[in-house]
Amino acid sequence: MQDFKLKPMKCELNYLSKSDGSAILSQGDTVVLASVNGPMDIKTVNQSIEKATLEVLFCSKEGKPSVADRYKENIIRHTCETAILGCLYPRTGITLTIQELENYGGLLTCAVNCACLALINSGVGMRHAVAALSCCVDGAGELVLEPTHAQATAARARLHFVFDSREKSLVTGFTEGTFSEGTYEEALARCRAASDLVFAFYRDIVSNYCHVI
Amino acid sequence: MKVSVGDVVLPGDYCEEISPKDEKSRVVIGPGLRKEVDHVYITKAGILKKKNPHTYWIDSYQKRYVPIRGENVIGIVTQKAGDIFRVDIGGSTTAALSFLSFEGATKKNRPELQVGDIIYAKLVIASKDMEPELVCVDSFGHKGRLGVLNDGFMFKCPINLVRKILNPKCPLLDSLKNEWPFEMAAGMNGRIWIKANSMRESIALGNAILGAEFLSDSDIKKMCNNIAAILAGHVS
Repeated sequence: MQDFKLKPMKCELNYLSKSDGSAILSQGDTVVLASVNGPMDIKTVNQSIEKATLEVLFCSKEGKPSVADRYKENIIRHTCETAILGCLYPRTGITLTIQELENYGGLLTCAVNCACLALINSGVGMRHAVAALSCCVDGAGELVLEPTHAQATAARARLHFVFDSREKSLVTGFTEGTFSEGTYEEALARCRAASDLVFAFYRDIVSNYCHVI
Repeated sequence: MKVSVGDVVLPGDYCEEISPKDEKSRVVIGPGLRKEVDHVYITKAGILKKKNPHTYWIDSYQKRYVPIRGENVIGIVTQKAGDIFRVDIGGSTTAALSFLSFEGATKKNRPELQVGDIIYAKLVIASKDMEPELVCVDSFGHKGRLGVLNDGFMFKCPINLVRKILNPKCPLLDSLKNEWPFEMAAGMNGRIWIKANSMRESIALGNAILGAEFLSDSDIKKMCNNIAAILAGHVS
């Protein structure tokens, strides 16, 4: 089970000095920078009396906002809203800003993982950590875990999953292309097993600075 | 994942040791821990600590302050609104400070406080649903060490650094206090106010505090000796 090869991950926490929490993460050649600010005061119209309002901003490399960016923002917002214990901070806002730096495939999974690391760094109360993984079905019908950009564009189907750290249950799942039910189940099982590696990586990063704070 | 005391923990982990087996045993859970139906779950990344007999908490990295009752904080007066002052303590909303909660204050004898003043105060009310409230007196009506901080210099730092230097086991202040005279107030909201005799000494003190963030105890001692030597002019 443990022979999965994920792209090499490198991370630096607290990359930005002014934000409450930040992380820069590279998965293979894809690099994403995320910053978290909050819980802080927001406009009364946006306040929710029972939980914190999470706002996600995704900035692409070109700098022009597009519909695809809104889609990514939505996925990340829904994923992080389940992870954050918003009920601890009612009537406040938490802002999550994500900047794409390099994109060589797997941008969205890298963005979700980076957002999770930034949230961990900020000290916001969380229900669980999240780990995103992607998988694609190539022309021959074989599953490829963590595909490269070329593999992903040539693939018949692309599947993305986000798991929580408690029971490894599915938090978010979205797919493109055609595939059979069996393929989906297998991809889910593989990604779930590989999510252990991502959580182990998080623990590694946190243990780097933990013993001297 | 199951963890035990002293481990590096991530949100979503749980510790079996914390959940009491029988009804009579009691545990105290501190920051970073949260009771849910079956277990006590961890909500912050850091190290799980225990103090005997049954107190548990997480030591974590944090920059943003969330007000907690009973903590001493450093705030900046931002507004005078009738009977209260509004004070920025770094939380999501400003805190209220009544003009009567100063030593010897009466309706006629109001404390002299200007917008922009720095105060050292205690949080008496801090609930997630309400505006926090500060006082500058203890329950006997004495001001103690609370009140306006005049002159000096205030800077911000991560909250875990304040916890670290206030820890009685931390050698930083013990090493520095013998080297040159200074005054210091550390607010649990990640603000530190310092006052020394000269600008040079203030800068040295500020650098020593900020430099201690990621150093171990023995490295802190070394750094303090180093700074003291530079300040005394032995090393240029």
